[in-house]
Amino acid sequence: MKTFHQLGWLIRKDVALFIRTKDTLVLIFIFSVLVVLIFSLAFGPIFPQEVEDRGKLAASVLWAAFAFAGIILLNRTFDVERTSGGLHGVRLTGVDPGNLYLSKVVSSLILLAVLGTVITLVALQFLDALDVLTLRTLVKLIGVLILGTLGFCAVGVTISGISTGTHGKESLLSVILLPLIFPIIMAGAKCTVSLLTAGGLEGGFWIWMLIIYGLVFLASSYLLFEFVIEE
Amino acid sequence: MLLQASKITKRFGHRTVLNDLNINVQPGEVVSILGPNGSGKTTLIKILSTLIKPGSGNLLIAGANALENPLHVRPSLGVVVHEPLTYLELTPHENLRFLGKLYTIDSLERRIAILLDEVGLTQYAHERLEIFSRGMIQRFMIARALIHNPTLIFFDEPFSGLDAPAKQFVLERIHHERAQGKGIVLTTHDTALAYRAGSRYLFLLNARLNAIANRNEIEVNELSRRYEQSLKLHEMK
Repeated sequence: MKTFHQLGWLIRKDVALFIRTKDTLVLIFIFSVLVVLIFSLAFGPIFPQEVEDRGKLAASVLWAAFAFAGIILLNRTFDVERTSGGLHGVRLTGVDPGNLYLSKVVSSLILLAVLGTVITLVALQFLDALDVLTLRTLVKLIGVLILGTLGFCAVGVTISGISTGTHGKESLLSVILLPLIFPIIMAGAKCTVSLLTAGGLEGGFWIWMLIIYGLVFLASSYLLFEFVIEE
Repeated sequence: MLLQASKITKRFGHRTVLNDLNINVQPGEVVSILGPNGSGKTTLIKILSTLIKPGSGNLLIAGANALENPLHVRPSLGVVVHEPLTYLELTPHENLRFLGKLYTIDSLERRIAILLDEVGLTQYAHERLEIFSRGMIQRFMIARALIHNPTLIFFDEPFSGLDAPAKQFVLERIHHERAQGKGIVLTTHDTALAYRAGSRYLFLLNARLNAIANRNEIEVNELSRRYEQSLKLHEMK
């Protein structure tokens, strides 16, 4: 019970800090919309008539926007902890490092899911792909995006924790993170294409890859996070 | 015994920062550690407060092995270091409430109100810390370190950058905590303040900790003279 109580307060603090500082969320939103706009201008205003082509275009734009938005958010996740030693303050309370990791994953997931939903709707509208979506497909799409974001955060929080105490942390984060999140982006993009072109998840290979990869990182990072945040 | 550290050694690369240190702290005792900048005082405090691990050595806090089970001993520690160990974007009340919830403190709102009153920050309870002066931050850091009523408190250079009234406030607070039977480890490079705050004095020089005297065995002038002498020897080396 104490664990859930602590988790709740850690998540609440993370979300409050992001909302209070605002600059990161505004930056992520503007950057993501910009990605969508650039693609829609480059490929529009008349988009391919074939549903399959439009679906592939929308999926690639969405995941490009998510990847960049996620990297910006993860860069900030531990910055705020290290700047004034907040992380040490939390460690001194005796909180389990695994719970600290989970709280970071969940708070990042909440922020990226909210931003992701807005970006998805903007992207589908701009890329003329909204008409291919039924309510059922939209629910599945949101599920895929949340799973992808969870996997992204599971990997990203760990790498952000490792890179934040180093010199050149921003470039280091991107360099280490990109190869590790590649399977998630690939699986997420494939699932999104499948949903936007066929309305369902064909075969299920990519969705299982998304789930298993995320869970493996989530479990291993939960156990090893103590070593990540140790100086 | 509140703290028993033995044979603590810490290296950063090829540089030995702390070499085979031993330190004990009893309830109601203030151990003042004097050392120049770069002597390893902050590293020692971080090791004793379990924030970093030593290369080798043993650390017992209230009899428990703090190196093997740091999560168990941390709630009994209060720490005041250079960093605020908190979130400047939040207010003192929000920070204390957040930490209090993690410590699962009963009657938290009452405890926060009492502490903020004691450190003179009641009227700033809902202002963000980022607008606070150094002295106000230091007052808040003391409140933060005491929110869970710890039995062992570490102060790393608590007087640096403070004006005379703020230094007096920190000194009084140290005496107040000591009177309640808490153990305190204090580091500073100011001999006069170390003398006034401490009940036992140690020098940290050349990565080694040397026991000098108890308060009743030495006068402030003698402590200053011996410290200056040790510093000269240290510089010659």
